[in-house]
Amino acid sequence: MYAGADSQTVRHSPLVLEGLVKHFGGVTAVAGVDLEVESCEVVGVIGPNGSGKSTLFNLISGMLPMDEGRVWLVGKEVTGRSAWRIARAGLARTFQIPSLFDNISVRDNLLAAAVEGDWKGAPRRAGEVLEMLEISHVADNLASELSGGQQKLLEFGRVCMRDPSVILLDEATAGVHPNIRRIMLEAIRRVREAGATFLVIEHDMEMVREICDRIIVMDAGQVVAKGSFDEIADNVEVQRAYLGRQR
Amino acid sequence: MVSKLSRPQLASLLALFAGMVVLAVLPAYIDPYSLRIVTGVLMWAGLACAWNIVGGYAGYISFGHSAFFGIGAYVTGILMQRDLGIPFLATLPLGILVAVGVAAAIGGPTMRLRGAYFAIATWAFAEMLMQMAIVLDITGGTAGLSLPAYLNEFFFYYTMLIVALGVYLGTWYLLERTRFGYRLKALRDHEPAAEAMGIHTTRVKVQAFALSAGITSLFGSIYAYWVTFIDPRSVMGPEITDQMVVMVLLGGLGTVWGPALGATVLWLINRYIWSELGDTAIYLPILGLIIALIVLFLPNGLISLLPGGRRGHGLLGRLLRKL
Repeated sequence: MYAGADSQTVRHSPLVLEGLVKHFGGVTAVAGVDLEVESCEVVGVIGPNGSGKSTLFNLISGMLPMDEGRVWLVGKEVTGRSAWRIARAGLARTFQIPSLFDNISVRDNLLAAAVEGDWKGAPRRAGEVLEMLEISHVADNLASELSGGQQKLLEFGRVCMRDPSVILLDEATAGVHPNIRRIMLEAIRRVREAGATFLVIEHDMEMVREICDRIIVMDAGQVVAKGSFDEIADNVEVQRAYLGRQR
Repeated sequence: MVSKLSRPQLASLLALFAGMVVLAVLPAYIDPYSLRIVTGVLMWAGLACAWNIVGGYAGYISFGHSAFFGIGAYVTGILMQRDLGIPFLATLPLGILVAVGVAAAIGGPTMRLRGAYFAIATWAFAEMLMQMAIVLDITGGTAGLSLPAYLNEFFFYYTMLIVALGVYLGTWYLLERTRFGYRLKALRDHEPAAEAMGIHTTRVKVQAFALSAGITSLFGSIYAYWVTFIDPRSVMGPEITDQMVVMVLLGGLGTVWGPALGATVLWLINRYIWSELGDTAIYLPILGLIIALIVLFLPNGLISLLPGGRRGHGLLGRLLRKL
């Protein structure tokens, strides 16, 4: 059971991680991560490169098998389930490098995201998502023809098509134009208001400050600090881990 | 579902309708030899379409499809022998059932493999089945099987025509208009992302493999009755799969109508070489040359040269990188 939480809390939180561990040979990528994310909360995950953030996402989403630990999603334990089962249980994610369906159109990418859900309502929903993300003008383009920023938007759009309970965003605004960053932030706010819970890997500290309710800091596979943005910013351990030196 | 017909789709349907009219009246205007060639074109177009479901839409290169062609041919051939005497039409669903069952059994483990491993596994499977056909008594071994002769070219022409049209229209609907088609294209382009969206990719791949095998088997059955004699090499030889692959690459991988175009061009070349040189020994080097030219100069196939042909898809490059 998750340390410090009773069974009722575990079952009702949208996302609960308990002692997640992942080794790659002799390297421990994730070393016993515990986390509980409340409903409609946005939790930021920050840390230096190689600290285990993306591996953590892969464990949660079933892309990688975990060596130890348990995951609870919307009250159900999903530990050891395959990625497609976890997705159907209410999890959606983006990838660090946009993972689009390159050979079909932008609109078809959105429709493809709805194949396991409300198929009849998918065209209408796709129109709404295209409008929200301001990419209606490229709806009939191939996904591979989009700019890097538009690809990030489209990947988030696919997440929106599924109406998931928990969303994992892996560097959703890394390297994008400020205008696209604005569209993305606004879309995240709207989806959150609609009831979604977020876990967000991000290096853009301005974005972290703007959207995250609280932050966890990872280093060498462990959570080394938790708290609000200001608490984290003043944490000496974080500065040492993240910047490699004391401020 | 999903949306109304786009302009290129409407143009395709109109072209299809015109083509159907032409094909329906064609036998009245051509000699028996030409009719036989067109019947072959229809068969190969259907086979290429079947292979395209796995190769072009699922993104898995199968070198084992000759096995399913052979299954269809042998099921029909064996069941139509005098001691059983089952009518031709009744053998068709049985051939399909056997092929679908075998494909589902083989697809379960092999479609978890990727790239060259899947290609090698399917090739080995086809070789194994061909060797079985050689040593088993029921298949007639290397001596082959003779089927009751039904010397009516019109029957086979219209049978091939109806089946090929049904296969193309069914495939178009299934792959372009239904959830199944979207699932297939999603896993082809990015399998982890497809899984992350809740798609049970292994199940979808096996379904596609079984569908493709069933269609291939159907043409194998018709072919056996058409040519009235089959042996392991003629219905299970690797050249059958090779030809399907090259037809799809030549016409346009992952497109609905590309395989028909590729099949038409390649089968006419095949028949031309046969009629001019008396055999098709030079045909295999020509297949190799065509593959090289497609990879270098026409990665999207002949269909990309037509008006409204698709833009710069990278399917061929993606498939080759898998190998």
